[in-house]
Amino acid sequence: MNEKSQAQSRIPGEPGIWAFVTGDLLVFSLFFILIAIGNQEQGGVFSSARGTLDLRFGLANTLLLLTGSFFVAIGVERFRLDDGRDNRIWFRLAILSGVIFLINKVFEWNAKVSDGMTPMTNDFFMYYFVFTAIHAIHVFVGVVILSFLFKKSQAPFTPETQRGLESGAIFWHLVDLLWIMLFALFYLV
Amino acid sequence: MSEITSNILAQDSLSRKSLAFCGYTGYAAIILFIIGGVWLGGMLPPLLNASDTPSEVVAKVNENLLNMRVGSIFMIASFALFGTFGAGIAAQTRRFETSPVFSYVQLVFTAGGTTIALLVAFAWSLMVFRPDTYAPSILLMWADFAYFLAVFSVPLFGGWCVLIALPIFFSEPGREPFPRWVAYVNLWAALLFAPGQMVIFFKDGPFSWHGIVAMYLPFIAFFAWIAIMSWVMIKIANDENS
Repeated sequence: MNEKSQAQSRIPGEPGIWAFVTGDLLVFSLFFILIAIGNQEQGGVFSSARGTLDLRFGLANTLLLLTGSFFVAIGVERFRLDDGRDNRIWFRLAILSGVIFLINKVFEWNAKVSDGMTPMTNDFFMYYFVFTAIHAIHVFVGVVILSFLFKKSQAPFTPETQRGLESGAIFWHLVDLLWIMLFALFYLV
Repeated sequence: MSEITSNILAQDSLSRKSLAFCGYTGYAAIILFIIGGVWLGGMLPPLLNASDTPSEVVAKVNENLLNMRVGSIFMIASFALFGTFGAGIAAQTRRFETSPVFSYVQLVFTAGGTTIALLVAFAWSLMVFRPDTYAPSILLMWADFAYFLAVFSVPLFGGWCVLIALPIFFSEPGREPFPRWVAYVNLWAALLFAPGQMVIFFKDGPFSWHGIVAMYLPFIAFFAWIAIMSWVMIKIANDENS
């Protein structure tokens, strides 16, 4: 069986990472439901609070994570092809996008707190600060994982290493997916 | 068979039985908490709320005094078993380590986690010891103390899970102390404990110490984690027997 057909006939990453992704999505589903209930019960509060968020921060962070996911995908693909080309740059770029996301988030939170908005202001800001903070922890963990991927990507090709790289990349895509949902619920809905 | 080899096998047989024993103590901890904390003690679902006034707390405690006292006894028995449960995990990790770093650190976290959990039961017991003598606000403080110990100590309990996951990830393929999926379960559990730290900001709603995100999630995740780790320990012991 050649490499290409092998890639087509198996699930990427380790089975455990998919269990983790499913579990994490379940928990975040609860978070999304809570935001939706708050939005329904306190439409006015949520609408006016949403109006105070700076869409540019949210949009910039969405683009950062989406491009970060793109870079990781290229890095993993390059490793899989095992054609001797240096793939470190893609993991470096992905790490950079995660770090800029976090810096951007700190600036955004700081701006909100300076304007007098805290988690205790109302339910919208309670969810906004808590859930984006939990997501930011994911991004931080993702950046740490990407640093491991960066190191692993220099190792000789083995199926185990490939699965390890794919598992890390799947986590990073999960971080991306969760942010897109949060972005929509906090900034757009 | 040489004497040394038979001694090693005898030790292995002992370690298998010990591992299974530690796993069963995890199950026992869950059963005892269900009796003490869920059925009798009123800890989960919470009889008290973070938004309760001191007089409301006094009234609720007095209405459920006997159940809460008996529940406290079961709870402290449950929490003491975290020690054997955690030691079993550390011992299994130790078997696969040349230099026992992670297993020792796991033991430190096991001891810390057990102590913190015991203090939860102490706080609960003191709350129901003489509710009419203490000032009502002190009763509320004992309730705050119990839930803060349980859910605010995220770095300890979450760190414990991470320290179980890391040696699994770092092991050579085929030399993992536990199956690799167990590492992911531990990371997921650590993640579920994390919202517990929100209790410091809120006295009502999903992030307060009676809320769905900051209390129910970490509590349910914690006992589900014990159930899974206990099952895995017993399975490893049984598989090695066969």
